[in-house]
Formats: sequence, C-alpha cells, structure tokens
Amino acid sequence: MGWEATVDYLIEYQDVDDSELESRLASLELDLERFAPLQRWWLLHMIYTKRPLQEKMVLFWHGLLTSSFKKGGKGPHMCNQNELFWEHALGRYDTLLKAVSRDPAMLMWLDSKSNKKDAPNENFARELMELFTMGIGNYTERDVRESARAFTGYTLIKKEFVFNRNQHDFGAKHFLGRTGNFDGDDIVDIIFEEPVAAEFISRKLFEFFAYDDPEPDIVLSLANTFRSNNQSIKAVVREILTSLAFYSPKAYRAKIKSPAELVASTVRILGIETDGGVLRKLPDDMGQSLFNPPDVSGWAGGPAWINSSNLLQRLNFANLVATARRNIFNFDPYELVTQKNITSAEGIVDYFISVLLDGNMPPQEREILVEYVRGLDTQPSGTGKTTEDEKLRSLVYLVLASPDYQLA
Amino acid sequence: MLITRRQLLQSSTALVPAFVFLPTVIRRAVVNSVPESGIGVSENNRTLIIVQMAGGNDGLNTVIPYTDSRYYDYRPEVTIPQEQVIPLNDEVGFHPSLTEFKSLWDEGVLAIVEGMGYPEPSYSHFQSMDIWRTADLEGKLKNGWLGRYLETLNRDEWSTFRGMAVGRALPQELSSPKVSIPIVKNVVTYRLKGDPSYPTATQARTEGLLELYAAAPPEKPYATLLDNTMGVAYQSVQALQQADQAYKSAIVYPDTPLGKGLKLIAEAITGNLGITVGHITIGGFDTHADQRAKHSQLLKILAEGIHAFYQDLKAHDRDRDVVVMTWSEFGRRVKSNASNGTDHGSAGPLFFIGTKVVGGFHGQRPDLGNLDKDNLRFTTDFRTVYTTVLEKWLGASAEVVLGDNRFGELPIFSQE
Repeated sequence: MGWEATVDYLIEYQDVDDSELESRLASLELDLERFAPLQRWWLLHMIYTKRPLQEKMVLFWHGLLTSSFKKGGKGPHMCNQNELFWEHALGRYDTLLKAVSRDPAMLMWLDSKSNKKDAPNENFARELMELFTMGIGNYTERDVRESARAFTGYTLIKKEFVFNRNQHDFGAKHFLGRTGNFDGDDIVDIIFEEPVAAEFISRKLFEFFAYDDPEPDIVLSLANTFRSNNQSIKAVVREILTSLAFYSPKAYRAKIKSPAELVASTVRILGIETDGGVLRKLPDDMGQSLFNPPDVSGWAGGPAWINSSNLLQRLNFANLVATARRNIFNFDPYELVTQKNITSAEGIVDYFISVLLDGNMPPQEREILVEYVRGLDTQPSGTGKTTEDEKLRSLVYLVLASPDYQLA
Repeated sequence: MLITRRQLLQSSTALVPAFVFLPTVIRRAVVNSVPESGIGVSENNRTLIIVQMAGGNDGLNTVIPYTDSRYYDYRPEVTIPQEQVIPLNDEVGFHPSLTEFKSLWDEGVLAIVEGMGYPEPSYSHFQSMDIWRTADLEGKLKNGWLGRYLETLNRDEWSTFRGMAVGRALPQELSSPKVSIPIVKNVVTYRLKGDPSYPTATQARTEGLLELYAAAPPEKPYATLLDNTMGVAYQSVQALQQADQAYKSAIVYPDTPLGKGLKLIAEAITGNLGITVGHITIGGFDTHADQRAKHSQLLKILAEGIHAFYQDLKAHDRDRDVVVMTWSEFGRRVKSNASNGTDHGSAGPLFFIGTKVVGGFHGQRPDLGNLDKDNLRFTTDFRTVYTTVLEKWLGASAEVVLGDNRFGELPIFSQE
C-alpha cells in the first residue's frame, strides 16, 4: 500500500470490518461496569483492532475530554463515554462537545449533576474553555460565570442525562461579547466562532501525532481546514497525516510513547496472544491509569512520561515480554530467528532492530548490542553455558528497553 | 571505551554507600550543567517535606472562624456546626477531622500561616498551581522553585536523593532540566526485574542497558532526559532497597496513600540518603459538590499521616532536622454553591509542622467583611513563606532562587 492508500485505510475506518475483535472480546465476558475488566477491554481493543486510528483517537479524546471511573463509580458510564469517543472519533468537534456536555460520566466528573440556576456550578463551563477549546487567557472570569448559567439544568436523574427546565437559567447571558438567552449548545457554537478555538484543537491534534510546539504556519493551516470543514476532526487529521511536516525528520521519534501505546503496540508488533490479564495494570504502573486520569487536564505526557519510577516500570515491561514463557503469555524469539535462519550476532541484532525499531538504531548503540551478543557467545555471563534462549531474550530485552524504543 | 565504561559502572556499584553519587558516565549531562561552585549551600542536613493538597483546599472549613456569624451565613450547606469545631482560640478552630493536628498544636510544633495567596488570583487549578510551583506570576518560568534551589547546591555535595518525590509523576516544584531526582511510588515495585530463568545474568544485562543509554546520541529528542533518568533510577533502586531493609519503626502509619508515602520518605530520611527536599501529594480537594463528607475524610487522612510521620521522626531523633509544609493552589469560594459544595476561590491557610517550627498563628486572617466577588482577599504572599523557607530553613538565597528578595520573612522557624 502506498502512503496515500494507507492514510485512506486508516481514516476511512468505517469500511474496515472489525468483527473479529468484537467476537474475541465477547468471548471473554468482561464485566464492563467494573474498573479492571474495563481497562483490559480497552487495552485489548488497542492491541487487536483493525482500525488503529480510530482507537488512537479514542485515546486522544480520553486524554482531552477526560473523566474518571473513580468519580463516576461502578456502572456503565465510563464504558459509554469511551464508546461515545469511538463513535465521534473523527467527527465534528462541536457535535462531540455537545454530546460530552450531556455525558453522564462527564457530568459526574465535573460536578454538573446538581447544577442549579440559583447557584450554577462553574466546573464544566470553566474546563470547557480552559482545557477543551480555548486555553487560559482567551476568556474572562465573567465568561466562566455567565456560561455556567447557560449549562444550568444539565443534570442527571438516576445517572441518566436530563435537561431540567426548572433549574435552567433562561435569563440573558453575556458571553464572549455576545448577549442572548444562551443554553449550553449555544455556548459551544459561540466558542467555535472564536478563531482561537480552531487553533487550539488543531495544535493539540498535531502535537498528538507529530511533535510539540508546531510552527505557527502549520497550526494556522490546520485551523483553516477545521473551520472550512464545519469543525471536522477528520479533515484536520487527514491534513496532518498527509503533511510534509509529519514525514519530516523532526517528527521522527519526536514523542515519548504513552504507556498504553507502549504496551499495546509491543504486543501488537510481536503478535503475542493474550487475554490482557497480565497487561491490564502495566500502564497504571507506568503512570497512565486508563479511565483514571490524575486530574481534569488528563495526562501531561511528553517528558512527564519519563521519570525514575515510570522508566523502571517500562524496563520491567520489556523484561515481561522478553521473558514471556507462559502459555497465557508467550513469546519465543528462538522460533522467530530459526524460521528466518539467522545465526550471526549481527544478523540477530539487525533482525530485532528491523522488527521493533523499523531498522533504525544509532550505530554506536547497535554496536553495543552486537558486542553484547558476541560476549555471551564467548564468555557466558551466568553459571555454565549461555543458551540461545537466554541470549535472544536478553537481546530482545535490550531492544525493548532501549532509549530509542521509548520514542515514537 | 566499552571496557572502561563497564569497569566504571562496576566500581560504582561496589561503592554505593548510603550517600549515593552517580558515576560520571551516566551523569554526564547533569554534572556538566550543575554550576561549578554551589551558591548558598549550607551543609545543615535540613530537610523540607512538601505535602501538596491538590484541588484547592477549603481553608475556611479547615481553620474555621467559628464565632463569626458571617461564616455561617455565607455557606449554610457546607458549614461545620460550632459545637463540632475544635477551638484554638475564641475566634478560630480546627475542622473536627484535625484532632491529630490539635495535639501537634498543643505540643507547639504546628504553625498556621493564614491568608496565603498572591495578587490578582487565578481561579484555574493549573494556572494557580503553576504560579505556586514556579513562584512566577507571569507564567514565564517553567522550572519549579525547589528545582531551582536544587540547582544551586554544590555539585561536590550532590547526591541522587537531594530531591525525592513520592508518586508516579515529577511535581513541578522540583522540576529542573539540570537536576534529575528519584520518583518513587512503592519501594516493593521500585526495582529492576531480571529473567527469572537466568537470575545471575541480570547484572550483565543491566550494564549493557546502561551502556546503551550512555551511548545514545545526546542531540536526539529526550536523549538527555532518558539518560539522566536511567542513571537516577539505577542508583536509587539500590540505595532505597538498602534503606528499606535497614528501616525499623514502632510507629504505625495510617493505611492510606499519604501514610504509606510519608513512611517511604521517613525510610529515606532515616536511611541517610541525603534528602533535602521531599514531595508528596494528596489530591481530591476540588470539592465542588457534596463537600462535607469528602473534605472531612481528606483532612483526617492529612492530619493522621503527618502526625505519624512526625512521631516517627521523633522516635528516630530526626525531628529537629525536618519540617513539613503544606500548600494548596487556592482556597474556595466563601459562598457555597447549589451542589452542597464550593467553587474555586482564593486565599487559604497553610501549615508547617516540625520541632523547629514556631507553633501558633502566622500571617493574618482574611476579613470576611471585605470580600472580592465572594472571595477572600489574601493577606500573606506565598513568596514570603518561600523566602522564609529558603533563607531560614534551607540556608539558601531567596534572591537567587526566586529572583527577588522583597517579600520579607515570617518568624516560622525557631532560631535556637
């Protein structure tokens, strides 16, 4: 497939049959109202989906329009929110936000569930502008208070969304320089009349896919595409994935893999069969507890993924995969290299660099690996003779634990 | 070159004492950038432990003006009934969950600094946290005030554990591109696993990994971060495991994340790992709805955890070397909302706990009769407290760290 066809395949995911994944998940009979099975369910989605872009977008939305199982509690709400993101993954951003403003998990997360006209709760209104659409400095405290009034009456009864007319403030609101009897949907529409909103989401998307602090021209072009395509996320993502910047050296290994992506992509690349049981908690240990973000801004990401604690857990994940000898979680590098009939130290090093690092590791690092493998051949490290199993597994560990593998 | 590196690594492993220094090969970037001669270093073995109350603690329901009728008028849904307040004097008292704080208060080792804040307060969690963490109201500085303090320490006296944070994330207070510190959630999982089938091969494999990190081209994105972090992780694992094994205590910590985290910090302090600044966060203070039960629970966790920590330090005869300081990004709105909670506000109190702390009230109580759009007006700039901590506790220059020395000091620390 050429790259344009690949981009089409990724973006037009509605044409891709993913029923195999659905039957795989159905057979596990996971209770999606509980935290741990829900985390497993999503991780398995990431590993085995044939629609990787859709799943990546769900992760993007979960990080941006985040909510937490810890606040909503046991129930279908976080799963439903995930499916909402799945459904709107590349849809219109304004439509998604209007849906999110009615989403039970979000209403619980940002305390809108008892949002009344006499004393509006500002939490959702504030984060809508600060975290979801504009960023601080583009609105006033008065805009926060006024838009909170527009969302009054958006509430939950038995954890289902209801618009309670008796608690809605039908008075005039003054918001971002406009005056009117606005409701929540009007607030979202007004926000997207501000140029900064298109730039905000365009920058977030570019940074998610390519690299941080994009050039202003790139952001302006994406924002223009966003506006001229009715707030279409798909149009922006298509432009990113077909842009020169996306294929430039600057975008190569410019991002730290998020823990969920690290775990899912490794298992995916190596074709390991798993029911997700051994994997479920690993992203948590590396600092990304799915469905349980640290706060309303989601995960800071970038350099924040790397600290001594998280790095140790990344290395221990490399160890788990490299030493997977159990029936429920098995990976056999010996089988792979025998199939390929590779025997030399250089040969096996290059083979795993090609599988795991698309053939690209700085030569001085590659040389260390080659020396390491040769050293085990001639001078066993442990007691007795080094086995092929030990040699290959420690090599795979070193590649998975290498600095290069932490980057995407 | 390869052999030299391996020898260096091995010799450094053999040398790991309680006081941990990193071998130059893995610390090249850090070492290169820490100033040749430290500024304002005072080798006083003093330790500052930050307990961050994230989310915006409701100060008015923590140190409660229980005889002021305006307190009861403004926020009927969330007030603490007068008879439940633990009186400190005729005007204010503690929330009933703070019984352990009351006993520290009675011992004279707990200070309350009232009315903390800064001009033109931000009501955004993130902006206000950034302001507190960087001590920069303009939002220009990215590094934390304590990260900048750590940069000033003499490199000859540098140890991996100068700073330490409990959790899974680096708190921005301690962030600095020049200083990498250990972040530890749990001492049991804070280790490097090996291949269970070939346990004796783990050391050689780990050395290979350290070589890989040291060999990565430094100009690549995140190369320095990865290399430094790898070095810190490797060294701190061994030191912390040693400290953990050596640690003994008769004190029972509460079974909460804060309690466990403070115990971990106590292990590192009593194990002489050289901690100057430690950090732990207790979250959940963003009580927009159904505040009473949540806030009560959080304050109980806070007071019980810090009380146990203080008792533990006392039992180890380290209580004179350590102070705890709490902070929160803002207080909450004086008026309650319709969800039986409170929205983001401004000024609030913070606490210092320690034997060298001058117990009692500091700062000035905000005036409930002089609100700014339903919010308290701050009376004490948080940078005054930072100046006090830097100058009077850590023996550092506030001018160097904060870039400003006009905030003055408060008599929070005993000069004996």
